[in-house]
Amino acid sequence: MAAPLPFSESELRILRALLRRKVRFMVVGLSAAAMQGSPVVTQDVDLWFENLTDPKLSQALQDVGATYVLRSVNNPPMLAGAGAELFEFVLRMDGLGEFTEETKNCVEIPLGRYKLKLLALERILASKVAANRPKDRLTIPVLRDALTASKGAKSGAKKKSQRKSRGRAD
Amino acid sequence: MKKSAPAIAAARARRRALRLAERANEIVAAHPEVDPDNIRHTLILLELPPWERLRRSLIRGRATAIFRK
Repeated sequence: MAAPLPFSESELRILRALLRRKVRFMVVGLSAAAMQGSPVVTQDVDLWFENLTDPKLSQALQDVGATYVLRSVNNPPMLAGAGAELFEFVLRMDGLGEFTEETKNCVEIPLGRYKLKLLALERILASKVAANRPKDRLTIPVLRDALTASKGAKSGAKKKSQRKSRGRAD
Repeated sequence: MKKSAPAIAAARARRRALRLAERANEIVAAHPEVDPDNIRHTLILLELPPWERLRRSLIRGRATAIFRK
């Protein structure tokens, strides 16, 4: 039996609506890093949209009774509505290319019949290094180590499978 | 004598812990600049599905904020 998702029903509705309407976005930040094995904590899920003026985005939000609040002098743009508090808009990623370019650097994970894009850990690390805020400087070493560990885990798994095939061939 | 279910589970857990520790040690030996705790925690998380990894990250983040408030 699959483990329940770490979202409330309303949070899940927002994600599904975005995917159903084929809005172009990806999960970035520490939530994406956590999903790729980084031992970090976060309070929200950062979403990087290709185009905030895409009508499919406002349609998707309307589908679930949510909306997009425009940037003002005191506030960045934000999502509003049930379940929206978890998600944070990201307008740009320091140190990275344009959205379209960075989609080539995504991993996908299944969400029901959809596929959710996560920015790859190497690129999340690159953006944190470029942003270099005090909170980034705390997480950069952890992300670096997580990248080393995941590469080590992959090469370990590869060696094990090669040993198994050699064992079968002998 | 047949082993009980808890004893079998404990033996399995021990083997898994040893395997993880061995893998972590290999990585740390190859990369002396890393924090061994980060390596160990990452290897543990990589054995879980992505949504479970996020669940653990979000719960701890939110709990810390509640505690601080």
